[in-house]
Amino acid sequence: MAMKPECIAMLLAGGQGSRLGILTKQIAKPAVPYGGKYRIIDFPLSNCVNSGIYTVGVLTQYQPLELNDYIGNGQPWDLDRENGGVHVLSPYQQIKGTEWYKGTANAIYQNINFIERYDPEYVLILSGDHIYKMDYSKMIDYHKEKNADCTIAMLEVPWDEASRFGLMIVNDDGSISEFEEKPKNPRSNKASMGVYVFNWKKLRQYLIDDEAKEGSSNDFGHDLIPAMHENGERMFAYQFDGYWKDVGTINSLWDANLDLLNPKVDLNLDDDTWKIYSRSPAAPPHYIGQNAEIESSMITEGCDIEGKIDFSVLFANVTVEEGAEVKYSIVMPGTVVKKGAVVQYSIVAENAVIEEGAVVGESPENMADVNDWGVAVIGNGVTIGKGAKVAPKAMVDEDMGGAE
Amino acid sequence: MAAKNVLGIIFSNAYDEVMPELTSLRTMGSVPFAGRYRLIDFQLSNMVNAGIPQVGVITKGNYRSLMDHVGNGKPWDLSRKRGGMTILPPFNTPETGMFKGKADSLFGSITYISDSNKDYVLLADCNVICNIDYDNLVKAHIAKNADITIAYAYGIPPATSSASEFVMDENGRITDDRYVDCYSSEVNYSLKIMVIGRTLLERLLYEAHSARVDDFETIIRKNLSFLAVYGYEVKGFVRTLESLRSYYEISMELLKPENRKALFASPVYTKVRDQFPAVYGISAKVKNSLIADGCKIDGEVENCILFRGVTVAKGAKLKNCIVMQDSYIGDNAEIECVIADKSVVVKPNKKLCGASNYPIYVGKGIVI
Repeated sequence: MAMKPECIAMLLAGGQGSRLGILTKQIAKPAVPYGGKYRIIDFPLSNCVNSGIYTVGVLTQYQPLELNDYIGNGQPWDLDRENGGVHVLSPYQQIKGTEWYKGTANAIYQNINFIERYDPEYVLILSGDHIYKMDYSKMIDYHKEKNADCTIAMLEVPWDEASRFGLMIVNDDGSISEFEEKPKNPRSNKASMGVYVFNWKKLRQYLIDDEAKEGSSNDFGHDLIPAMHENGERMFAYQFDGYWKDVGTINSLWDANLDLLNPKVDLNLDDDTWKIYSRSPAAPPHYIGQNAEIESSMITEGCDIEGKIDFSVLFANVTVEEGAEVKYSIVMPGTVVKKGAVVQYSIVAENAVIEEGAVVGESPENMADVNDWGVAVIGNGVTIGKGAKVAPKAMVDEDMGGAE
Repeated sequence: MAAKNVLGIIFSNAYDEVMPELTSLRTMGSVPFAGRYRLIDFQLSNMVNAGIPQVGVITKGNYRSLMDHVGNGKPWDLSRKRGGMTILPPFNTPETGMFKGKADSLFGSITYISDSNKDYVLLADCNVICNIDYDNLVKAHIAKNADITIAYAYGIPPATSSASEFVMDENGRITDDRYVDCYSSEVNYSLKIMVIGRTLLERLLYEAHSARVDDFETIIRKNLSFLAVYGYEVKGFVRTLESLRSYYEISMELLKPENRKALFASPVYTKVRDQFPAVYGISAKVKNSLIADGCKIDGEVENCILFRGVTVAKGAKLKNCIVMQDSYIGDNAEIECVIADKSVVVKPNKKLCGASNYPIYVGKGIVI
């Protein structure tokens, strides 16, 4: 190995994201499109290179085809390198048998050999589930400054939401005194972001111990970190301020996309000093037609718009024909919305066709009972027939006939 | 695929003189076009899409912006161990000085040409904007057993001093290649895109060098009776840039869906800038326009082409304009029939108006 990196990143990208329903039927959660031209995994990958971390192992397991294809040799993120670069790590056959990644810690355990090849001082553990811009190098500096064994990035969340998170009670010097996993009555609002820095030698020992432990679920949050804490290792919390969002549910994915249109939200992706890189299609600039009306929206390359767009995010190569309307919606690449169709409060996945006069979704104001309202979701490649109606909260993953 | 046996050569500087406004700082090949491209992207993509594995780009002057744009050829999949893209800087000896014509410039790269070991060489300029399948051109060349095959189009010829029209016999063999004298009637005019056998090209270049002829087309013209030179008609959307006005008009033609469809029939690749999608504000009003990524629009835009990263502030009105990368149009500014080069700033409340047959050009980085 020519150059020994100080820190390498391991990105856990094997999750199914089952709460995203039909959106993750064929792709892993980190490959879910976000923000007009990105996928969720672009955020941790871009954060890595922007933080000066050029060796990244991506652990895949669930539906890896599209994700592997997308990452490729890592060129869009400048991760096609002689030393380091991006490596896709899938579970593999071993002499003692074949094992899937059982838990997050086990996934890293199975790749100890990969990390050993680089023999880094520190290992950064990331997940491919969140939208955020973060300078990991500052967190590593903090870790060194505190002479810590493990540093966990944390974020202050609103108190009424705190019980959904893994929480930490933090001393004045930044060390962690206690952990609470999704407590009913939270005593802290400092939530773990699932971003960890470990001293590699320490982590290695704990991974081996954890693997040997009977009944362990081999998970960082459940097993490994509590074990370290019990043994009195030096554990610190690193405070992150800024936009951070778990896009694990349909509603949060919809919200997180529309957040980009809200100038009050602290997530500037138009930032030359911290670019988010992605693999982009070769498409011409988008065209706005003679009768189109566009308001408060984001539109990208290859789109052809003749209809009305309001407060929506359109991905590449979307066509919206004359008289069609798209509002408060996320429309993923290659989808066609035909004449007079209405797409509202919805997420439409890739290459779907909304035929003439069809209506997808409903505004919450028009609901008799607002509890019945939800974002409507149209799956990959689905056709919604002429004049058909898709109810709010519906998930459609098969072609739907027209209303005759 | 016949094209895999072809070496592509692109002249990045040819016809620089017809659009001095846009080429004073750059080569013809690096002139921005269609919202996110440079002219060379169209020729490079045509070649790559046809399967041509090796491309040499001949440069003359001011080619920093070109180098910056093409890099190592990666966006066109031309960063390769075998073949790929090579920049061919001018090759000067103390006696010759800077090359003058195409024959000269090719002679300077003659080792590169012979080392390619391809049977055919395809020569193309950057001021011809089209999406043609070069594989078919090469196939036609082989089928006719031609020495040289030159692409032509039927229509009004470009108003350049070197524009020429072909006279062909019933087999498509060119019997006369004469300079255009009337620029208002439709003729079969040359697109200056040609396929030629590599060894024949080398021979002609040596002859031209010893005879001190620097213009390659003159050599062909002289040899029309000795060589089998055929025409190959290109139909559909093909345009030749001949002036700033034609740049403006051809750009505006892309607002028609059928022209866009033709020009982008197969993918056109370019350097990726990783910019955020275009963002439209509450007061945005946009009609019949091409908008690239990274634009921020709060004003009114009609019949315009906006390149990457253009800002249109609140109350600003743009009509029939081409605005290049990173330019800024301030609050309540009004511009009409303007070509704004890169990083132009139009300050709030300023007004600027050209005419559709005489667009105003605002140079790179100018603040109004």
